[in-house]
Amino acid sequence: MYKFVECIDAGSEYCPCHLAEKGECIICSQLQNKVFCDCLYWKGTCIYEELLKNGNKAKKTRQYKKCDIIAIEKIRDDLLIYDIRVSNSLLRELDNIGAYVFLKSPNFPDYFGTPISIMDINYEQQSIKLLIKIHGIKTKDIKDCNEKIMVKGPYWNGIQGQRFLRNLKDKSVLILGRGVAAAPGVLVTRRLTLNNNKIIALLDKGRSDKNICTDYYTKYGAEVNNLSIINYKDKTLTDDFKKYIKDILEKENIDVVLAAGDDEFNSLIINYIHVRRTDICFASVNNSIMCCGEGICGSCIVKLSGKEIRSCKQQYNPLEYYYVEDGK
Amino acid sequence: MMNVVVIGGGWAGCAAAIQAKKCGADVLLIERTDMLLGLGNVGGIMRNNGRYTAAEELIALGADDLFNIIDRCTRHKSIEFPGHKHADLYDVTIIEAHVRRYILDMGIRVLFETRVVDVDVEDKKIKAVFLDSGTRIDGDVFIETTGSTGPMGNCIRYGKGCSMCILRCPAYGPRISISQRAGVEDILGMRDDGVFGAMSGSCKLDKDSLSKEIRDELNTKGVYITDVPQEDINPEKLKMKVCQQYALKEFAEKIILLDTGHAKLMTSYYPLEKLRKLKGFENVRFIDPYAGGKANSIRYLSMAPRNDTMKVIGLDNLYVGGEKSGLFVGHTEAIVTGTLAGYNAVRSLMGLNGIELPVSLCTGDIIKYENETKRKKDGLKKRYTFAGSEYFERMKKLNLYTTDKEIINKKVEALMIKDIFKQKLI
Ligand SMILES: Cc1cc2nc3c(=O)[nH]c(=O)nc-3n(C[C@H](O)[C@H](O)[C@H](O)COP(=O)(O)OP(=O)(O)OC[C@H]3O[C@@H](n4cnc5c(N)ncnc54)[C@H](O)[C@@H]3O)c2cc1C
Ligand code: FES
Repeated sequence: MYKFVECIDAGSEYCPCHLAEKGECIICSQLQNKVFCDCLYWKGTCIYEELLKNGNKAKKTRQYKKCDIIAIEKIRDDLLIYDIRVSNSLLRELDNIGAYVFLKSPNFPDYFGTPISIMDINYEQQSIKLLIKIHGIKTKDIKDCNEKIMVKGPYWNGIQGQRFLRNLKDKSVLILGRGVAAAPGVLVTRRLTLNNNKIIALLDKGRSDKNICTDYYTKYGAEVNNLSIINYKDKTLTDDFKKYIKDILEKENIDVVLAAGDDEFNSLIINYIHVRRTDICFASVNNSIMCCGEGICGSCIVKLSGKEIRSCKQQYNPLEYYYVEDGK
Repeated sequence: MMNVVVIGGGWAGCAAAIQAKKCGADVLLIERTDMLLGLGNVGGIMRNNGRYTAAEELIALGADDLFNIIDRCTRHKSIEFPGHKHADLYDVTIIEAHVRRYILDMGIRVLFETRVVDVDVEDKKIKAVFLDSGTRIDGDVFIETTGSTGPMGNCIRYGKGCSMCILRCPAYGPRISISQRAGVEDILGMRDDGVFGAMSGSCKLDKDSLSKEIRDELNTKGVYITDVPQEDINPEKLKMKVCQQYALKEFAEKIILLDTGHAKLMTSYYPLEKLRKLKGFENVRFIDPYAGGKANSIRYLSMAPRNDTMKVIGLDNLYVGGEKSGLFVGHTEAIVTGTLAGYNAVRSLMGLNGIELPVSLCTGDIIKYENETKRKKDGLKKRYTFAGSEYFERMKKLNLYTTDKEIINKKVEALMIKDIFKQKLI
């Protein structure tokens, strides 16, 4: 079967990484202790050569840098929008689909770091905007930061199925989002509208009383509708949503759907749409728990067809990941 | 609709596609770069020694299409250089466009800049191939002619690194062994010293960067020969070489240039500083590989086990030709094996058994001989070509070598296979 092999860092300045150095490269067969080329995913550079040229050593990994917090907007007690000033080069690198950073307070060790998606980019202010939901220890630690915060990045694997979004031009994309998970969809909208793609966003406000992201989507030219998509009590899709999908699939020529919710939400909508239209491709937000972001700790591993995938670095096909036999 | 998918558009793939089309199939040819002919864009030598016989045999068998084009693109006819007689040199700067037009005019569909990366196999049958975009391409029968060159990682591990050859891996992505992806282990060629792979044996200089005297001689005679300075003679380099027909002592002691549009230099690589010390070479620069001062491409790391109908052993519907099908060196060899692969692929579609070429023809004999010898001790260190080394000796010994077209024609007629490659099967 077709192997969906893709490492988001391949060919970047962070490649080859420690995985390559230890013979565990996601892409290169020469660096998996096989001694011949079997290169399924090519991004323009030979990882084997890069490693040799670098003295058989991994490139330097990303490091935490202390950054200024410009503003904190409190939406709710447990829902905050941070504006953080970062260097110009990091800003440019984060202006990409799926971008995220690790954040932590300056006072605590590295394992406090938690991945947060970039919602928006502001070049004038030289800042990134992030929507943060306060959950547990790590995010509470962030909440305590008021002036300075530690930022590590850039990371790009916050969206899975990026090959379906990359190089998209003059196409139509439907974004289905719910709550905080809808935030990375803003950056997707920003990038895709630059290439004359039509973005239709359907947002479920989740447990909030309003859709926090709506204004950001609108700013970048998305057509936004607010609707309740899912009944969480019995884990079903609402009738309103089903009607909406029926209409939109008839009316619009949708090429790709981005599922921007939690795993339950993503699974429900992807399967629902897939049985109705098999030609639509899916992207999804990456909901894995991550700790290092470098493919080392293993906390982000998901299993797909018996294979372990380090989802902080490696791409998978969301349809394959969320697919259930009967489609529900 | 009967549908043949050819992967790799070098000489072997072009020959296979043309043959399958002539037999009446619907043909799709997939090529990773923006050009057909692969290594054929940097070669050019035809009809030297036994290749003359092979070319004429194939023409008598009805596979004259590519030879007609090559003859039209020939710059020099019947020249001589050390160890080689009656060689033709085609113009590498124009040949691709001619072959490409011919193939497209025949109605063969070609996908350029498209890399095949995986296969869908069921019960020893390939159902489809996948492109690196993830697109699935279904087919009834497949022909793999992806060659054996590179890619970068192999050139690094078994050679002196990427030298930026015509296959342009960084730009179009690396070659992939389709048969291996389908579960059939590759066979690997070796060098004399037992290391895997072998290095391409010639490079191209920009003719305009040579002195007027050398240019004139190349343009009129097709050949220019001068001595390698005593201190630069390096016979060790010969051992690494693919082209054993050019691994003669003369090729270490002499600089031999052939006019194929560029000036073909008959050695794997040559440090630029040293080359520029020669008279008339003061301004010289490499055109292929771009880093010809440092290295050349590594080949023969990816051959599929096959039978003598060119079918891959272990798969029901995969055929191979060219370097993918054995330790064959050369355009002529690629055209011979590719043509047979194309023909038998269509026969298999019709439920017919594949044919073998008779061993009383050198084209049939080389296919069988390579297969047998490859399995013997040291067989993987040999290369098989009509143009020289051991196989040309064998041709002479078995009386398979002749330059008399009449004899070849009569032989083919007596075998009752005149023009079989012109037959429509579907
Ligand atoms: C510098 C040099 C000079 C030479 N000079 C001569 C000469 O003068 N005379 C002579 O007879 N022989 C010469 N040869 C040898 C001769 O060129 C080869 O043996 C012959 O052309 C091999 O043909 P092929 O079709 O098997 O392979 P190739 O020419 O290697 O063709 C393979 C093709 O497959 C494509 N491909 C590979 N992987 C994929 C994939 N996954 N998906 C899609 N496409 C793919 C490649 O891009 C390529 O176009 C020379 C070779 C070199 C390197
Ligand atoms: S987050 Fe550590 S391996 Fe992926």
